[in-house]
Amino acid sequence: MKNCKEIENNLSLYLDDSLSGADKQAVEEHLKSCPQCTKVLVQLSKTHALVNNLAEVEPPAWFKQKIMAKVREESEKKSLVQKWFYPLRIKIPVQILATVFIAMLAVYIYRAGEEQIKEVVPSSVPVPVMEVQKSKLPEQKMKTSTDEDIQKEDQVIEKKETPRKKVSEMAVDAAKDVNGQIGPDIKADKYVSAPAVKSVELSETELEKKKESNILDAAIRASRTPHAQSVMQRPNVLLKVDDINIAAGEVEKLLIKYEAKNINRQIMQGKTILTAELKNQKINDFTARLKTIGQVEEGSAPLNNAVENIILMIEILNK
Amino acid sequence: MLLWMSNIIDSKKTIDADEDIEFVLACHKGNTDAFEVLVERHQKKMFNIAFRMTGDYDEACDVTQEAFLSAYKSIKNFKAEAKFSTWLYRIVVNYSKNRLKQLSRSAKRREISLDDSGEMKTEWIINQSFINDANPGTQMERRERETQVQKCITSLDEEYKEVLVLRDIQGFSYEEIRDILKISEGTVKSRLSRARNALKDCLTKVIGDL
Repeated sequence: MKNCKEIENNLSLYLDDSLSGADKQAVEEHLKSCPQCTKVLVQLSKTHALVNNLAEVEPPAWFKQKIMAKVREESEKKSLVQKWFYPLRIKIPVQILATVFIAMLAVYIYRAGEEQIKEVVPSSVPVPVMEVQKSKLPEQKMKTSTDEDIQKEDQVIEKKETPRKKVSEMAVDAAKDVNGQIGPDIKADKYVSAPAVKSVELSETELEKKKESNILDAAIRASRTPHAQSVMQRPNVLLKVDDINIAAGEVEKLLIKYEAKNINRQIMQGKTILTAELKNQKINDFTARLKTIGQVEEGSAPLNNAVENIILMIEILNK
Repeated sequence: MLLWMSNIIDSKKTIDADEDIEFVLACHKGNTDAFEVLVERHQKKMFNIAFRMTGDYDEACDVTQEAFLSAYKSIKNFKAEAKFSTWLYRIVVNYSKNRLKQLSRSAKRREISLDDSGEMKTEWIINQSFINDANPGTQMERRERETQVQKCITSLDEEYKEVLVLRDIQGFSYEEIRDILKISEGTVKSRLSRARNALKDCLTKVIGDL
């Protein structure tokens, strides 16, 4: 015989008719002899009836509409997210798309930057070239001059009918111009003897055309100006000799002896013009030695001791 | 191999038996109208579970709405291993339990709610359900009894309350309750036995001799 506690635990299942045959029989036998457990069973049965008879509560009339409104709102949100995050059938996360975009942007910027560098680098190259040009002979410098200058040069060389006096005057004037107008206002570039200045000016124009940065431009000018002054001085010397060719050879030897650079000879009708770059200290000695070769007439402006090198133009004429 | 085959057959049986499944599959494709059908079918039962669990009409409204929305969001996770309704009722039971936990945290507010407005609200709702009764005396008696019963249900422990609501009010089988609550059938039976005894004791105290 089971005690009341054990039976009470099974009464709930007994009501549901969920007990096995043996347990059900044990409960029924106990209930016959136990009014206490019988009372509990009656109470449980009434409780069950009360709960079972609870009426269903109706949800509010707007209930479904409210739920569906929220559901549709969620659906739209979801579709927007799908639209932005999964634009393709294949689900590529937005992070991968972003990475690809950044990579492409980086390549684009790198390429654009490379082009800019290419634009900048060639413009910086002419700086040493210009410096070299300045130290070249006038004839070499003429190659860098404008076409107009070249044409003038050609006229001078090819038109051998040009009177000696006129050429001489041109040379003297050019020298005067150069001596008197050191700097950007130099107009002597129209003469054969002043291409260096012209080349500098042209270079400046080119630089401006290439739109170099101001800093770079300023640096170029700063480095260029003192050098230009060091080669601008061009005193002319008129040497009258018996034999122009012999004298020209001797003068050349003399120039070589005095370590002259960029020696150039121009043979013209009735005269020969020698140009060379000579150190300032040696100019007086050189002129003194010239007097041994022929009759020297110095027609240039006074020498500037601050200048390092002098471009000397020697005109050799018959007496 | 045989076991695998039987699993497939069982799964197919479950799907065939579930009249909601075609609408669930339509929901997988983003069809909100299909979900509306499911709401229509299950809203009353969902709402009644929530109402009996929480004992509060407004809370039941909120809980049921949240449960439906959650079901829609995660409907793709439904694997058809059980009936869709079982899955749906599990959601509403869990949301009801979570709401009860939130309410018990703010015990003071809950006390006020039960003593005053909440109780009045519940009474009013129960009154509405008897409005068509012919005899006003019977109406009053039944109304009062319902309020007392609901108060006792609300006072039960959570684990007893859920099995009592599902079995004695909603009429689910032990197997269904097992699936909804994800507990063993033995646990369902023992909890139900204790729940009924606790409710009997509560009602005996409130009403007197049953």
